[in-house]
Amino acid sequence: MSDTTISVESSAPGIKNRGEVFNSFVRVARYTGIRLVVLFVTVVIGIYLVVLVANMGGYVDEIRRGAIREQISMQIYMSKDPQILQLSAEEKNQMVAEQVAIEEHRRGLDRPFIIRSFAFLQNAITLNLGFADDLVSDSGSKQVRLILLERLVPTLLMWGAGNLLLFFVGLFAGLFLSRRYGSFLDKIIIALAPTSSAPAWFYGLFLILIFAAVFRVLPFGGLVDAPPPESKILYALSVLEHLVLPTTAIFISTIALSIFNRRTFFLIYSQEDYVEMAKAKGVPDRLIERRYILKPTLPPILTDFLLVVIYLWTGAVILETVFNWPGLGRALYQAIGLYDTAVIVGAQVIFAYLLAATVFVLDFLYALVDPRVRIGEQGKRA
Amino acid sequence: MWKRTLILFSVLIVGALLLSACGTGAVETVVVEKEGETVVETVEVIVEVEPTPEPVTRTGAWLDTVIFVEEPSPDSAVTRILAGDLDVYAFSINEAPIAERIYAEEDLSYYTSYGSFNDITFNPVLELEDGSLNPFGDPQIREAMNMLIDRDYIVQEITGGMAVPRFVDVQLASADYARFADVIAEMSIKYANNPEKAEEIISGRMVELGAELVDGVWTYNGEPVEIVALIRIEDERLEIGDYVSGLLEDIGFTVTRDYKTSAEASTCWISSDPAGGCFNFYTGGWVSTTISLDEAGNFAIYYTPLGWGIPLWQAYDPSEEFLAVAEALLNGDFNTFEERSDLMRQVIPLSMEDSSRIWLFDAVGVATQRADISMAADLSGSTYGAALWPYTLKYEGQVGGEATIGMPSMMTQAWNPPAGSNWVYDMMPMRGAENHAVIADPFTGLRRPQLLESAVVYAQTGLPISKTLDWVDLVFEDEIVVPDDAWADWDAEAQVFITAAERFEEPAVAKTKVVMTYGPDFPGNVTWHDGSPFTLADMLYAWIYQFDPAKEASAIYDEGQVPGFTSFMTSFKGIRITSTDPVTIEYYTDAWALDAEDNISNFRALWMGTHRPALYGYGQAGWHNMVPSYLAEANGEMAYSDDKATALEVDQTNFLAGPTLEIMKVKLDEALADAYIPYEPTLGAYITADEAIARYENLKTWVERNGHMIVATGPFYIQKAFPVEKTIILQRNPLFPDLADKWAGFDEAPIPEVLLDGAGEVAIGDTATFDVFVDFKGEPYPAADMSMVTYLVFDATGALAMKGDAEAVEDGYYTITLDTSDLTAGSNKLAVIAVSKNALIPAQVEFEFVTTE
Repeated sequence: MSDTTISVESSAPGIKNRGEVFNSFVRVARYTGIRLVVLFVTVVIGIYLVVLVANMGGYVDEIRRGAIREQISMQIYMSKDPQILQLSAEEKNQMVAEQVAIEEHRRGLDRPFIIRSFAFLQNAITLNLGFADDLVSDSGSKQVRLILLERLVPTLLMWGAGNLLLFFVGLFAGLFLSRRYGSFLDKIIIALAPTSSAPAWFYGLFLILIFAAVFRVLPFGGLVDAPPPESKILYALSVLEHLVLPTTAIFISTIALSIFNRRTFFLIYSQEDYVEMAKAKGVPDRLIERRYILKPTLPPILTDFLLVVIYLWTGAVILETVFNWPGLGRALYQAIGLYDTAVIVGAQVIFAYLLAATVFVLDFLYALVDPRVRIGEQGKRA
Repeated sequence: MWKRTLILFSVLIVGALLLSACGTGAVETVVVEKEGETVVETVEVIVEVEPTPEPVTRTGAWLDTVIFVEEPSPDSAVTRILAGDLDVYAFSINEAPIAERIYAEEDLSYYTSYGSFNDITFNPVLELEDGSLNPFGDPQIREAMNMLIDRDYIVQEITGGMAVPRFVDVQLASADYARFADVIAEMSIKYANNPEKAEEIISGRMVELGAELVDGVWTYNGEPVEIVALIRIEDERLEIGDYVSGLLEDIGFTVTRDYKTSAEASTCWISSDPAGGCFNFYTGGWVSTTISLDEAGNFAIYYTPLGWGIPLWQAYDPSEEFLAVAEALLNGDFNTFEERSDLMRQVIPLSMEDSSRIWLFDAVGVATQRADISMAADLSGSTYGAALWPYTLKYEGQVGGEATIGMPSMMTQAWNPPAGSNWVYDMMPMRGAENHAVIADPFTGLRRPQLLESAVVYAQTGLPISKTLDWVDLVFEDEIVVPDDAWADWDAEAQVFITAAERFEEPAVAKTKVVMTYGPDFPGNVTWHDGSPFTLADMLYAWIYQFDPAKEASAIYDEGQVPGFTSFMTSFKGIRITSTDPVTIEYYTDAWALDAEDNISNFRALWMGTHRPALYGYGQAGWHNMVPSYLAEANGEMAYSDDKATALEVDQTNFLAGPTLEIMKVKLDEALADAYIPYEPTLGAYITADEAIARYENLKTWVERNGHMIVATGPFYIQKAFPVEKTIILQRNPLFPDLADKWAGFDEAPIPEVLLDGAGEVAIGDTATFDVFVDFKGEPYPAADMSMVTYLVFDATGALAMKGDAEAVEDGYYTITLDTSDLTAGSNKLAVIAVSKNALIPAQVEFEFVTTE
């Protein structure tokens, strides 16, 4: 967030006349326009950098040319087809050359990368995600849009369930502990915090071993039973059953650290003078938590929350692999392995837009939740 | 008399006891010898009566339901099978610890396959562009590398035993490995690990090439001789690359390790000029999913510029002798099988002397399943590559039931019969739904009849074609004339076939003619899964498709089809239906294969729908379920081939799921409304409007019920596919006509087991005799089923001293008699190679014996 575009006033706004309202509107509109332009330019620069990086500055073209030549050469020179076997070496060479030329033309590899990089950029900015080079969606389509969308729902289910659970439990448990600093429970959380150094997939393996392999009470992985139930209710229940282990893995891998962090964060606020004052005046604990601790900390909490939401878009490769979960993480990992720049750029474009939108929305949310924050160029930081 | 009575009584008592124990008996006349007398008496004896097996009445598949699910992790798959969550894991497991686990579990059974192999590919340019020396440009150094590398170490330590050492360019699961097992064994002993000898040769050659060993480091023109090792990182090749690099460093080379993925490495070894020196050696890997019936062309393909038209291959510089022999084998320049054998016996040692690449091992893969499940498994392609799996998958002693099969990936690409997914993961469920004219024997690769009843292969006199199986006849003729009325090409504008008389200016001749006769009930006994009857129009549509997309005038023209089609037309001469009862097809071509059976299924015949009726490259389809996709492609809304779809920026046609399915539903409605007959000028004679409507309605009902357009005629039908959930459900096809036990006996490869015994010490000049026992599962292997039991003797110096065939004494028992006069004192090695006619993997044992003065 740019300091130049946000002003923070030390006093609450007073009653405004029509001129002030108009001025405020102009100020907000100007701010919005400038903010949007700045964010758009940032997104464009970011996307073009992604285009360059994903294509390794054009080296991916060389890789793709090599892969095309290898694939076609394999098909023709290694063929056991008697028809092809009887061709002379020159005829085979000509056949390979023709097919390689056709393939390179079809994939646009006969045009310089620098020209194509701007076409990539234009398509990306207009959200024309186009077609993947190699990767296909689960339903067999090469449309990048479908490749990402088909994986989005399972990703949101797993990561959404795990991270939202983590976020809210961490938030409220942290708040609770911050008021009980030094208690037995607090000490347990501090002691358990290092357990979060292990990733979710590590816990996932143990959970699978215990609950799927030994006790056989929960499935090994996958999105749903095989064959999937025909009834929608049973289908949903089956998905829920399959969500239990991965969600639990996400939860237990980070919950202790998350609570610890929140509790430390709230602890700083809960020792402010105005909190002590409220406590001295006999304000109930719950009211203190809600009004004197939670409310001033809302902006960073909102920021965290929205970032959690947009980071759901990225998925997680290893956890999805361990649980055989059809998520975005695996799709993107495959795309990177295949140098499928269309998919890589597509995913990053959406992420870039989501991030820009989040930043933009947060500016307004800050102003809404914190009366000290005002939008526009009026005034300087207090 | 008393004694006789006593003996008779005793026999009766024993008989009665046995009878009471077994509950079954019979009266029989037996000869009883007593105190020198022979008496004929009637006694009750026990006869073991095996229960008469219930005649099999079930048709089609043994199982009712097969569910395919995705399971990327082999380790997890094994755990899931043991936990009852999976029944079969249909993929080759190459990781030694997992294989050990499988071997140790009583609840698991497994099949072994040999479908992939690894090599070290050398850069053959001696002096690189920057003036540096590439030692591997020297054939003698390359040849010596065979002895520097310890293949046993690689097999045991790097692959953990999941491989078989390989020395020559002949695939283990191939007919030629079986034919030339003795020469191959000879090479494996000649080029066995001998680092001292290897270093001596390499050092000698390096000095001759002008290099100098300075402080243990090879230098050339004052600079260290640098070896760039291009090492693939995805699998065991990473460790192999490091191992070979280490060996080279040990003898004084400076090695730079360049670790790359497949795609990254291809820019170097495939695309660049080897003179540029981006690599000196590359850790190669190759895969074959079928048993190879002819490996003769390999030597030209892998070692000479005749192989690939890329810079690396064009830099190969084989000796004149090697090139001539390899080229003769590639082009089939031999007139008899014996001539071919002679060439093979020449080319194998020559390829070892050239060693542009050296072979390391054939990888061993293990596919596992519950112990009470059996199925056919191809020796090369394993369970997932066996065309017979849907006919043989069953639970022991059980008819019906459900099995869940795990695969590493599913629905990897769009499914469409002409140009869709050919991933092994997709082909297995696809094969479950297909029917075939002939099916490859999973143990020999030879085609056996499924819908076909018989075939006659007519070959031009002089072609070295032979036949093995009884269902095929082989006839040699001096000239095979293509009949004028045979269809030889396609006019895409007029939509009619072009006859041979129209295509060729003079009467055409072909090198082979294959006459294929279907069973008497065909095609009446074949029904599409949607209930539509199979007709000749289905086959004709597939034949038309062979030509149409490669013609510019076609509505579905695909320029990517043209090069392949052009090569097809250089050998294809014609096809015609000579009878409809029984259905008999003649196919004329200049292309031929060594085995008569293989000519029936050669690639173009397959495309022409004679191998699997109405079968395209990647699946089976009736004309009516090709029509919606045809109309959509003609309208530019989608394309069968991935290349054309990419160029048009549309989706590739997918019969299983996705956005193209919705387009095809619309086209189906249009075809139904118009009673559309495809390629009407030709197929109008075979399809009526009423039949077209009935078929489209069947297909519409099918799509509404099952949600996809995969309609075939195999023992299973695809009930439902769940792309995101990665699940495909196959149900038994009740309309499939064949009895379920038609392919019984193909659930285990009868690979012989050999035991060799004899004296450990022999005096020179004495005759030494060795016993060879050849069994299968403890039973003697019938001598008539063995194609080879050969021995090789290597003397104390490691040289081949003698070889010959073991003498058959009885089934499963052979002897070898050696005259040891020519052997010198020391330790000798006797190697015996046994090959069955029914399974191409040879069994080899070695025995060491000492000769003394």
